[in-house]
Amino acid sequence: MNGRYLLRKVTQAIVTIVAIVLLMFLLFRIMPGSPDRAVKRPNITIEQVQALKAQLGLDKPLVPDQLVTYVRSTLSGDLGYSFKFRGQPVTEVVADAIGPTVLLIGLGELIAIVVGLALGSLSGWRRGGLVDRVGNGVSLILYSMPYFVIGMPMIIIFAAGLHWFPTSGMTTSGGSSDAVSQLVDLGSHLVLPLVAVSLGLIGGYSILMRSSILETRAEDYITTARAKGLPDRRVLWTHAFPNALLPMVTWIAISLGYVIAGAITLEVVFNWPGIGTLTVEALDSRDYPLLQGIFLLIAVSVVVANLIADLVYGLLDPRVHA
Amino acid sequence: MTGPAAAQPTTAAVRRLAAVRRSAGFATRFLGRTDGLVGVIILGFFAFIAAFPGIFVGPLEDVTTATGLPLHAPYAAHVFGTDELGRDILNLTVHAARISMTIGLMATIITIVVGAVVGIVSGYVGGVLDTILMRIADFFLVLPTVVLALILAPVILDVIGAGAEFGGIRATLLVIVVVIGLTSWATTARIIRSQVLSLKERMFVDRARVIGSGPGRIMRRHILPNVVNLIVAQAVLTFAGAVFTETTLSFIGLGDPVAPSWGQVLNTAQAAGAPGLGAWWYIAPPAVCVVLVVLSFTLVGNALDDILNPKSASRLRVVDEP
Repeated sequence: MNGRYLLRKVTQAIVTIVAIVLLMFLLFRIMPGSPDRAVKRPNITIEQVQALKAQLGLDKPLVPDQLVTYVRSTLSGDLGYSFKFRGQPVTEVVADAIGPTVLLIGLGELIAIVVGLALGSLSGWRRGGLVDRVGNGVSLILYSMPYFVIGMPMIIIFAAGLHWFPTSGMTTSGGSSDAVSQLVDLGSHLVLPLVAVSLGLIGGYSILMRSSILETRAEDYITTARAKGLPDRRVLWTHAFPNALLPMVTWIAISLGYVIAGAITLEVVFNWPGIGTLTVEALDSRDYPLLQGIFLLIAVSVVVANLIADLVYGLLDPRVHA
Repeated sequence: MTGPAAAQPTTAAVRRLAAVRRSAGFATRFLGRTDGLVGVIILGFFAFIAAFPGIFVGPLEDVTTATGLPLHAPYAAHVFGTDELGRDILNLTVHAARISMTIGLMATIITIVVGAVVGIVSGYVGGVLDTILMRIADFFLVLPTVVLALILAPVILDVIGAGAEFGGIRATLLVIVVVIGLTSWATTARIIRSQVLSLKERMFVDRARVIGSGPGRIMRRHILPNVVNLIVAQAVLTFAGAVFTETTLSFIGLGDPVAPSWGQVLNTAQAAGAPGLGAWWYIAPPAVCVVLVVLSFTLVGNALDDILNPKSASRLRVVDEP
């Protein structure tokens, strides 16, 4: 990886984030209504409206004054105030919801990467074998299922039916106060949504890993490894697997956006107090400042994840210079 | 046709013959794909349901037609059970097919038209235009449809008003169509562009240029027919994605309760607490339909892609060129 590649990727990421901020600025200016209209006092005079506009900065031209103010406050972390959670700054409301979502998606990704890559590798290595036929079929079905469609039957079977796990939430309110039982409580709430996230991801990871292994299998160095008389398992895990892993780096980063989108629906199903539940609350009450904040958070995370993937790819594969 | 007496086949006849031979070859290869065939049969079934819902359940007078007991498991009068308002689930599910499939189809058309035009123009014209178009495409590749839709759909709805109708289609549904279309063309554009890049170096394009064809004519008459294969395969895969995305968007509350799609039915099921109450009959029918349709489109799309796309590696919808 050379300096030019690094510079180009970083510039691209910055340009994308700038485009996102501009898009948000434009979107919320084309909406009908204006903040000064929100003050609907019957006897308000023109002068008072003017004063209010001046106070809110709405008397200045859209570009550059309002845009500059907007960008400056966005950069300084001031995203305005939520309508629904009265008085609370958007930044605080969003920050409170990040933890549960990161816990859910982070652990889910971890499980899915381990299981999905292993399943895909074994499927591709023994193409047409039992693992391949069952595994590939299951993967395709999982890949076709929206996350909440995976989550809903799990609640019906394991929570409502068998009562093994709680139906919703992250903790039991009014539960015991000692750390161990709190952790157990959290764990029992976490199991179902976590399994749902992992299952949702495993399909895509396994399908792609399978095709990556299939391509790698035809390479000369695999034939060489076999010719040296290495055991089959060793050829797979130390020769084919690391090389087949390369395209997965990009895929895992690209799919992060889809994972977040899917996790939003799952959080709703499991009433998990994260970004997803917050998103739907913001959508239902048309809480635009909050929605904007959430969108910015998700968009920037996705862009950064892609940047990291590009850089990791550049490090792993020295051929990437273009 | 050796002798001079033998009738010389006209160019048109030769072309027709070649076309027949090609499509016969295509049919044989597609019939050899069990997965593609299974997909086509399932899709045919759902297309039939969407076209003639009355044959299966009789007319759904209105989404307010509620004749059963509230949230009741399957019983004699309603063999698929009822929802919390006493509406027949079978009836709702069958009538939702038309909504889900129509939204999917319209979104696919927009996606493919925009993607094909951008891909062909970008690839053929090249230069600055190519750079600009591909930067825009990168933006949409990084941010998934659902995430963009979170912020686009409610804003557009507020601007035009949720009750509005365009050509008999309610604004809520139209917004979903437009948002999916406008945000998912980038993959198609990338794939087609890369094919056009190699096509435009071919001899027949040079020949057309030499006899004085303009760029517009070359793109229409020479480039387009050569990427139709790609467009077809890509359209089928896009349809799978569109149905998937529509389901997710409706589920998080951006759907239309008056014209419920499968995702919208699942949204009301979630709102009524169906998973926690163990009301499996409310969730299973729409969920199974969504998964079957998405799975079938993916199977058919992959089969077509393998047969029609020269560069295919069955890589799902990932575009992994740096």
